[in-house]
Amino acid sequence: MAERISVQHNCDHYNAERYPHLNKRKFGNQEVDAVIVGLGAAGGVLLYELAQAGLDVVGIEAGPFWDPQADFASDELHAQSLAWNDTRLSTGNDALEFGANNSGRGVGGGTVHFTGVFYRFHESDFRVRTLDGAGEDWPIDYADLAPYYSKIEQEIKVSGPKEFPWGAFHGPYPYPERSPISGNAEIFRRGCAELGIRSTVAPLAIPSAPFDGRPPCINRGFCNQGCMPNAKFSTLIHHVPKAIAQGAEVLTDCMVTRILVDKQGRVTGVEFNHDGKYYEQKAQVVIVAAFAVETPRLLLNSACSQFPDGLANSSGLVGKYLMTHSGHDVYARFDQEIRLYKGTPVLAVSQDFYETDLSRGFVRGYSLHAHGSRPLGMAVKAATNAGIWGQKLREIMLHWNYYARITLVGEVLPDIQNCVTLSEEKDEYGLPRAQVHFSYGANDQKLIAHGIDKCKEILAAAGGRDPFVVPDSAHLMGGCRMGKDPQNSVVNEFCRSHDIPNLYICDASVFVTSGAANPTETVMALAARTAGRIIREGKK
Amino acid sequence: MMRSESLYPDYDVLALQDEWDAHTRQIVGKRLGPFQFKLLTPEQQDLIKAVARQLAYEHREEVLTWIAAHVDEQLLSPLGEAQRRPGVPPQKELILSGIEALNSWAKEKFFKGFQSIRQEQQLEFLQLLEVGGLPQDHGWTVEKQKELFKKLTGLVISAHYSHPWVWSDIGYGGPAYPRGYVRVELGLTDPWEPKQVPGS
Ligand SMILES: Cc1cc2nc3c(=O)[nH]c(=O)nc-3n(C[C@H](O)[C@H](O)[C@H](O)COP(=O)(O)OP(=O)(O)OC[C@H]3O[C@@H](n4cnc5c(N)ncnc54)[C@H](O)[C@@H]3O)c2cc1C
Ligand code: SF4
Repeated sequence: MAERISVQHNCDHYNAERYPHLNKRKFGNQEVDAVIVGLGAAGGVLLYELAQAGLDVVGIEAGPFWDPQADFASDELHAQSLAWNDTRLSTGNDALEFGANNSGRGVGGGTVHFTGVFYRFHESDFRVRTLDGAGEDWPIDYADLAPYYSKIEQEIKVSGPKEFPWGAFHGPYPYPERSPISGNAEIFRRGCAELGIRSTVAPLAIPSAPFDGRPPCINRGFCNQGCMPNAKFSTLIHHVPKAIAQGAEVLTDCMVTRILVDKQGRVTGVEFNHDGKYYEQKAQVVIVAAFAVETPRLLLNSACSQFPDGLANSSGLVGKYLMTHSGHDVYARFDQEIRLYKGTPVLAVSQDFYETDLSRGFVRGYSLHAHGSRPLGMAVKAATNAGIWGQKLREIMLHWNYYARITLVGEVLPDIQNCVTLSEEKDEYGLPRAQVHFSYGANDQKLIAHGIDKCKEILAAAGGRDPFVVPDSAHLMGGCRMGKDPQNSVVNEFCRSHDIPNLYICDASVFVTSGAANPTETVMALAARTAGRIIREGKK
Repeated sequence: MMRSESLYPDYDVLALQDEWDAHTRQIVGKRLGPFQFKLLTPEQQDLIKAVARQLAYEHREEVLTWIAAHVDEQLLSPLGEAQRRPGVPPQKELILSGIEALNSWAKEKFFKGFQSIRQEQQLEFLQLLEVGGLPQDHGWTVEKQKELFKKLTGLVISAHYSHPWVWSDIGYGGPAYPRGYVRVELGLTDPWEPKQVPGS
């Protein structure tokens, strides 16, 4: 994999040791307590929790151990190369875009590039079938996750408003809300106030004051390009280094190619590829945390004589019920400069339209974000997704400092047709590439139309004109959903696979519904809860 | 010529580069050339530039050359292309055969290569390509044409809005690291930020 990146990275990390080769592995031929595939949001939390509990644990990550100063740049084009760019075949009426749009690669996974908006799900999100007759209920309630939400918020010092008006949690957050807010966020709040819509400063995984030796945010707005000053939380700078200090081993630039299974049908460890050579790591427990496309792909690619349809797949649901959030952007022009490039991208939000209101003609709802942008992100999506290019694009961009933007985070209902399968095409390891099918359903489309109208109203109320819409999506969830019934789900409420007792799947792929909130706090809370369960099981 | 359209004609983002971190400065600096093409022939470079002139509405030769250089680099990149429609060839093949096809469609219709036809004719070709409306010969299905348009546009516009001259045109503060922004509130600017010239 070395030729894929310009900077040479060490690939084996433990104690105070860093090696550019795999000849000195800490747990080389040993069977460890647990091996984790993928060190993103979930994998980072799992590694830290298990190491802290004294377990022998190895985390294996396909991408590099990023060094923010050497690898990141304050540049949108450069940052594209930090994402998971491996080609996936994409089909459907609303075929998804991957790469920097939703898929992280390297230690930290998606948290390296995420915007840092940090929400809990609402109580209703876990009971969509019961309340709305759509989708499915989760096997857990909000109350099951609440202590883990608090734990994660404390651990990384989430900054947020004193009073958060929506959902079950109303604050206060560990650190005070960010102040001042950007011009774009001010415009959003002004428009909301004009219409009687409640808005707040965004809860963010970006501490508003120094924390843990890290400086506060300097408002340069490059959160999606990797935060160079280390102000923004990521598992790259928080959980993973702390896990290593607690005894974990981290192997990077190591692509897990197969989960190994014995004759009894238990998993025994994983096979991985580093720089063209294959290695193994044996473990009592395997935890797959490779995100919503790679997790199902790895399970399907690990098919063997005991499990010919792939691992954990007796329900046939591995890869099914993949979800995204509709993420349409609405822009409007103002008579004064807004300067979208300034400030943390999302500094003001509203969840006034989150819960079902049947008078709107659809179930579930959406969050709204005042969302800054940089030139490439705005221009490319306008050109490719909204057909705005040539002279028209140039004219808009010459005035881009006069534009404000609101972004939708719309709930997407689970649909079995939206799925990850294996294609005929092979990647560099000879493994079938993922094929991903996605189309919005009728409810999703009504919700999007409503959300767009609302954004336009808010912008108009704040003095904006000539709005235009750029269709987009954000985040991936589902593909290995959790549930009580083994015939109707892949893992149980503790993310343990129904079929194989020592195989866990713990990342955004276990989501049952998408909610209308950015997912990462829920991913991390689920990971902390799963880690607790694995530790308790180990002690028995 | 283009600068006169800018609301910030006196602003030059490159004048701020001493304030940028070394890694970013090096990356942005390379966009000013000189460029070494490893894949595209001079004729293919000219085709890309002709397409980019329309897509980006850009006429400066230096910026167009950077766009072609970016396409050259991307087509050789060992990283994947994130997503592709099944049945559509990989990006490199799609783009190379695609610009060739544009050229031959132009020759069929106007007896001249794509670079040599009039600007309005080039524009019309690209508008048709966007919706899959060009001849469907040699396997150029509606879907494949649309994909070609999308991939080409993505590459061209990404490069265009990464060129520092274009940042200056639009009044973008640029990398701004390590110094960041102190005054982010509506209507406030840091002393070094682009300021509009009254009356422009
Ligand atoms: C631009 C952007 C903005 C976002 N903004 C927000 C936001 O504001 N708020 C929010 O809540 N969420 C946001 N997200 C979403 C967030 O990044 C994801 O929800 C989160 O990272 C998912 O966590 P995960 O652990 O499931 O997967 P990831 O964090 O993606 O981690 C998976 C890891 O597994 C690795 N991997 C995959 N396959 C293999 C393999 N075979 N072998 C070894 N390793 C492998 C990958 O390299 C990756 O590092 C954003 C995402 C993006 C891309
Ligand atoms: S806006 Fe703040 S948190 Fe985001 S990248 Fe810049 S310094 Fe980091």
